[in-house]
Amino acid sequence: MIEPSLALYGESFDQVETYLEDLLEATGVRYCLLVDRKGFVLSHKEALWAPRPPALDSVATLVASNAAATAALANMLGERTFSEQIHQGEQGAIYVESVADVALLTLIFESSVPLGRVKLHAKKTIAALTVVMQNLKEAPVIKFDADFGSNATALLDDLLG
Amino acid sequence: MSTINFAAREINCKIVYYGPGMSGKTTNLKQVFAKVPSHLRGEMVSLATEDERTLFFDFLPLDLGSVQGFKTRFHLYTVPGQVFYNASRKLILRGVDGIVFVADSAPNRLRANAESMRNLRENLAEHGIDVKEVPMILQINKRDLDGALTTEMIRAVIDPRHELQWHEAVADQGRGVFETLKTVSRLVLERLAKGQ
Ligand SMILES: Nc1nc2c(ncn2[C@@H]2O[C@H](COP(=O)(O)OP(=O)(O)OP(=O)(O)O)[C@@H](O)[C@H]2O)c(=O)[nH]1
Ligand SMILES: [Mg+2]
Repeated sequence: MIEPSLALYGESFDQVETYLEDLLEATGVRYCLLVDRKGFVLSHKEALWAPRPPALDSVATLVASNAAATAALANMLGERTFSEQIHQGEQGAIYVESVADVALLTLIFESSVPLGRVKLHAKKTIAALTVVMQNLKEAPVIKFDADFGSNATALLDDLLG
Repeated sequence: MSTINFAAREINCKIVYYGPGMSGKTTNLKQVFAKVPSHLRGEMVSLATEDERTLFFDFLPLDLGSVQGFKTRFHLYTVPGQVFYNASRKLILRGVDGIVFVADSAPNRLRANAESMRNLRENLAEHGIDVKEVPMILQINKRDLDGALTTEMIRAVIDPRHELQWHEAVADQGRGVFETLKTVSRLVLERLAKGQ
């Protein structure tokens, strides 16, 4: 349909997880997410010491929408894109950068973490992630059983009465 | 195409509430948020102006449970209905799996309903999609209004060929809200099962 889903699974998924973990360690950020352009979380890692993260669904949605709005703005001003986005608050900050135009690397960290270090390592990770994203294979087709429909309907009844 | 995350074994479906300004899109989401048990839904995010008009979108994630080993979730969005927010509407339609068109029964909103449907077709076309490819439900809202137009008249301007399934609703009282969501969800899942 509008956009094919990213077939991030198996080996490529494991690679992404490893890159995110390395990044987490190298930078000292709290949370590290890879979000697709539609606003779904593809992968996420958090530091062991980090407090419970905020609702990641909402974070991903806002990050993707914000990026979409920024990209639309760039187009209107005749730019292909604007580069990374950083929002800094008193306590913490969020850093978002596009990966191969298909995903968004999102880092959430405390103000005490030097931004330069975050940027430096993020750029390296993005280069590595870009290779993974460019080599994604077709998603395997899921074969749903004949009773998929009735299972789903039963669940909808549970959820919505 | 729904986002299927094989690694996490998740299926994510995006459902967008579309329609003219003030037709009751945000009200639908608020009702769902209020009535679904809290462990099956996430936080509702609303990007609205001070007078509660949607500025960018509302967002509400729902957990359906596991279907064939895949954790299935619905992400509900509303668009801003006001005409001048079209750039935002286009962005929200990105990756849509199902649409609820919320029409307003007020007599003076007949034209707004028709224009919003035309705008939806145009915006989908810009994403390269024919409106017929996307599962869509019509909700005819505000049935409680004095002088509400007949459903025939509203369908005649929005869906003259009678291709869409439809529900009547009084969204602010919760009437028709779940029925609508259930029908669109079922269409989205049926489509998924067919592997499209
Ligand atoms: N009488 C009546 N009022 C309703 C009904 N549903 C919603 N409303 C009211 O209509 C007004 C607008 O509702 P919203 O849900 O904010 O409308 P919207 O479609 O999200 O509007 P935009 O965000 O501008 O696109 C609110 O005051 C609601 O309480 C209904 O079924 N009957
Ligand atoms: Mg609204």
